[in-house]
Amino acid sequence: MSYIEIKNLTFSYNEKTNVLEDVNLEINKGEWIAVLGHNGSGKSTLAKTLVGLLEPQKGEISIDGLVMNDEFAYEIRKKIGIVFQNPDNQFVGVTVRDDIAFGMENLCVPREEMLEKISFYAEKVNMLNFLDSEPANLSGGQKQRVAIAGILAMQSDIIIFDEATSMLDPFSREELIKYIKTLHQDGLTIIMITHDINEALLADRILVMNKGKVYAFEDTEEIMKKKSIFTDSHLELPVSLDLANALTDNQEYKEIREKLWEYALMK
Amino acid sequence: MGIRFNEVSYGYSSFAQGLYTAIKDINLEITEKNEFIALVGHTGSGKSTLAKHMNALIFPTSGTLEIFGHTITNKRNKKIKYNDIRKKVGLVFQFPEYQLFEETVEKDIMFGPMNFKITKEEAKKLAKQSLNLVGLDDSYLSRNPYNLSGGEKKRVSIAGILAMDPDILVLDEPTSGLDPAGKRILMDLFKNINETTGKTIVIITHDMDLVYQYFNRVLVMNDGHLVFDGKTEVLFQKEDLTDYHLDYPNTIKVLKYLNQELNLNMNVFQKTNAEALAEIKRAVRL
Ligand SMILES: Nc1ncnc2c1ncn2[C@@H]1O[C@H](COP(=O)(O)OP(=O)(O)OP(=O)(O)O)[C@@H](O)[C@H]1O
Ligand SMILES: Nc1ncnc2c1ncn2[C@@H]1O[C@H](COP(=O)(O)OP(=O)(O)OP(=O)(O)O)[C@@H](O)[C@H]1O
Ligand SMILES: [Mg+2]
Ligand SMILES: [Mg+2]
Repeated sequence: MSYIEIKNLTFSYNEKTNVLEDVNLEINKGEWIAVLGHNGSGKSTLAKTLVGLLEPQKGEISIDGLVMNDEFAYEIRKKIGIVFQNPDNQFVGVTVRDDIAFGMENLCVPREEMLEKISFYAEKVNMLNFLDSEPANLSGGQKQRVAIAGILAMQSDIIIFDEATSMLDPFSREELIKYIKTLHQDGLTIIMITHDINEALLADRILVMNKGKVYAFEDTEEIMKKKSIFTDSHLELPVSLDLANALTDNQEYKEIREKLWEYALMK
Repeated sequence: MGIRFNEVSYGYSSFAQGLYTAIKDINLEITEKNEFIALVGHTGSGKSTLAKHMNALIFPTSGTLEIFGHTITNKRNKKIKYNDIRKKVGLVFQFPEYQLFEETVEKDIMFGPMNFKITKEEAKKLAKQSLNLVGLDDSYLSRNPYNLSGGEKKRVSIAGILAMDPDILVLDEPTSGLDPAGKRILMDLFKNINETTGKTIVIITHDMDLVYQYFNRVLVMNDGHLVFDGKTEVLFQKEDLTDYHLDYPNTIKVLKYLNQELNLNMNVFQKTNAEALAEIKRAVRL
């Protein structure tokens, strides 16, 4: 049995259309999965079913051997954290400090430890100076960073990032990704929903959602060889591979093509 | 006469933090016509604060702001019709949630135009047209905006401003959350509006590829200061962008890598993939 298993998952918000249709997925412990797909393809909906916020009409989800149902939902929620697409949906507290603490409070982390972790993770996302601020008064990217800190502080085994870096400047994004890489090396299972192909390239495998269905789910290197998957799904290849594809099989470009691939797959 | 900032500073005052100066001594001139400007900078650098001044949503704490000939200071002036300014300068918020409040997408997009002297029928037609422009079909008209995906919400919020047809458009991260195809459609749309109607458009973004490909003029905010106002080419030719918390566009990064790895001497300053490709071919043929 895989670490995360989704079997025959079908979900609709209303009876009219299925937003997710017969989704089957297996994800291993410690894997980094990127999820790509057009707007409205069902990525966020899939994420919400995975953390038990939405209940599918059909199908089954199990995580670490526990089946998602009323009995185990609480157990499962301790294993999996999600950074929502809109950080405002994550804020409940009066201050940034409260909000970073919120997830940990639910996990009953002792007070001393909690205070230490608040500082540690606020520092990781470069928001240490804002602990007393009201979350509503932050800039867009600052909100995203606080939302991320709150979830990192829970130290879950699995974290879903739903476009969590979409409003970060290139520099802070790079910093954060560096840190996420170290967590991944320490065994964190990552599901990263993103529209940024360069961010997706860091994953072990890429899942492409298209109109509520799994359109492709393959090793990053393999899927990058299949241009049609991208063009069919409103997606684009990274610049380097777009160039590599455009340089025909002509021998004189061989070296350049190899370097372009090397560049794309550099982690 | 478009928008002019004269020594503008803005301080937020909040209970917890006291006064926080978000933008400092800004001097900036944006012409009414034919400008296509990117506004970039690190998170918290003051971009959204600057944008909110451009349609008089907030007033300078010190300094003066001129918008279409009206002088705006920290004191409300009864002679100025601020709502007229807001019709002339349309602002799309960073978070679409702050902009969507009606029970259907159609009503939401119609809201702006209905403030003008047009009939309901005309407003409906406009709503439909604007929705299609942002890449959503008619089936979305009857949807509740709260029940849309993130990218769909973003598109609807943009459609709402397009329907108002303002003289100047200010868009706060309009492409964040859009899929790559949607990003292209919208950037091409904005560029097209700019070129065919001459409307000035200001776009906030963190996407350096877009900045390089679409914009001539770029403004860089850093810690509340306007630290760069000039040509895009000049910005990306700088040796080091870490002070600005920025990065280079992907074409430049990829070509630099090839130069370094293969000992080539390509001109790395190519804006599009097609231009980069031509440069690679040229270098190999030498
Ligand atoms: N609460 C809701 N009620 C009804 N329909 C919804 C609701 N939330 C989302 N949908 C619809 O379900 C589909 C999938 O939405 P979802 O948010 O999962 O997409 P997504 O892949 O995350 O898109 P995006 O890239 O724009 O965030 C969309 O067509 C959307 O309109
Ligand atoms: N209502 C507010 N009250 C207090 N401080 C605020 C308020 N709004 C913004 N700020 C602060 O002002 C600074 C500038 O914020 P602004 O939203 O203009 O940044 P930004 O450049 O748009 O950032 P981002 O890219 O993250 O959206 C930030 O440090 C922010 O925390
Ligand atoms: Mg989503
Ligand atoms: Mg902002």
